[in-house]
Amino acid sequence: MDFLSRFYSSSIGRKFFVAGAGLSLCGFLILHLSGNLLIFKGPGAFNHFAKTLDSNPLILPAELILAGFFLLHIVIALIVRYHNYQARPIGYARYSVKGGRTWGSRTMTATALIVLAFLVIHLKDFRFGNRSEGVYQLVVSCLKNLYYAVFYILAMLSLSLHLSHGFQSAFQTFGLNHPKYTPAIKALGYLFALVIGLGFASIPLWIMMGWIK
Amino acid sequence: MKFFLEVWRQKNAKVQGGLVRYEVVGITPEMSILETLDVLNEQLLEKNEEPIAFDSDCREGICGMCSLVINGYPHGPEKASTSCELRMRHFKDGQTIIIEPFRAKAFPVLRDLVVDRSAFDRVMAAGGFISVNTGNAPDANSILISKKTADKAMDAAACIGCGACVAACPNAAAMLFVAAKISHLALMPQGASERDERVLNMRAQMDKEGFGHCANEYACEAACPKEIKVSHIAKLNREFLRAVFCSDK
Ligand code: HEM
Ligand code: SF4
Ligand code: FES
Repeated sequence: MDFLSRFYSSSIGRKFFVAGAGLSLCGFLILHLSGNLLIFKGPGAFNHFAKTLDSNPLILPAELILAGFFLLHIVIALIVRYHNYQARPIGYARYSVKGGRTWGSRTMTATALIVLAFLVIHLKDFRFGNRSEGVYQLVVSCLKNLYYAVFYILAMLSLSLHLSHGFQSAFQTFGLNHPKYTPAIKALGYLFALVIGLGFASIPLWIMMGWIK
Repeated sequence: MKFFLEVWRQKNAKVQGGLVRYEVVGITPEMSILETLDVLNEQLLEKNEEPIAFDSDCREGICGMCSLVINGYPHGPEKASTSCELRMRHFKDGQTIIIEPFRAKAFPVLRDLVVDRSAFDRVMAAGGFISVNTGNAPDANSILISKKTADKAMDAAACIGCGACVAACPNAAAMLFVAAKISHLALMPQGASERDERVLNMRAQMDKEGFGHCANEYACEAACPKEIKVSHIAKLNREFLRAVFCSDK
């Protein structure tokens, strides 16, 4: 197992963990969003889906694995950022780039911290909130608060920005970069970021507009 | 032409430095930024002031010594150009130009604009070579290499080890430089036998020198005077995976 600890303690190895956990979280986002969109079918369908999930014996191990991916991604990514911060103790009076960086890549740490704050609040209110009246009622009562809804939407835009760089970046980390398919991965990454961002943000938006009551 | 140069002055590695503003006159558009510094140094010497220390050697874009950050751009704002190739016609008469040294923990400033880039030498010594018996030149056609592979290796071999990729990287990572060397040698049959220990040792040395992690922002590729592509970094990552999981090392 010596080679694994050496792998982890290397700059390249660490990034494999961030990318692997990050892409796994992307898969989770697809499942989560598909469930959420059931809210547009009304309280019956949404609450029934939530109940079915809750009563499945596999949900606990699945949640633990998911928590593991989140922890792995967040902790190692922040360690990486800390090392990177240390790699340039004295900065430039003026710093410009000729290309390469994008809005998404520049803001990775900021969007990550916003998503992290959102994650904590989200878990507290929804996962560990009072679900006795049904998850539908819980979601609507929280998001009826304008500040809550605006924060929710901003957090989803941050997530979208995070993914606009993160998705394609993970493939490069895995060593997958070739003119044959890299343009397609980039396009898919932007599409994914857009669908995830708009998809999740649509729910607080609809509640704000009073279209979901 | 006349310019205002704001140049980083620092006596030695131990003391703090700062930007100092100078006016320099008598510059012609075909002069390079290095020649502009030469003219300024003549003017400083006449006034009995300490001239500005900066590195240069070939002054034709092949040695990689001229490590300047010009208005925030390593090697200046032009694409695919080194500092020594940057002509003053790219600036407006009377413009202020900020000149700083490369910034990275692994590249400490020795004096003014001179940084110590021996970290790159140590990374190279860790594996950026092939072991062969020297002596008679081998027959050029004894090992056949396809044109495509030879071209790819040649593109990677164009790296002059200037360090601009580190200077441009928001994380001061050396991945583009190391990737160019790894890719170049891994593509060649002559490099194949030492392929695994090469990537493991060069990676280890790179981290030991205190360079950052790659965040795939690609500022390096845009800054590289030899236009080394980030697809080589993907290859470095593959070579590393292969060495860790598929070799006996
Ligand atoms: C569902 C939520 C999230 C998903 C799907 C996600 C996905 C990703 C992906 C795919 C990457 C690219 C990995 C690479 O460059 O190889 C990435 C990078 C990153 N993530 Fe996340 N992420 C999420 C949440 C977070 C959170 C909560 C944090 C931390 C508080 C975070 C911090 C970072 C950082 C700092 C990077 C950049 C790492 C680097 O290249 O230096 N992420 N993320
Ligand atoms: S990869 Fe480009 S920028 Fe980096 S050292 Fe080589 S030539 Fe310079
Ligand atoms: S002085 Fe040799 S590359 Fe600029």
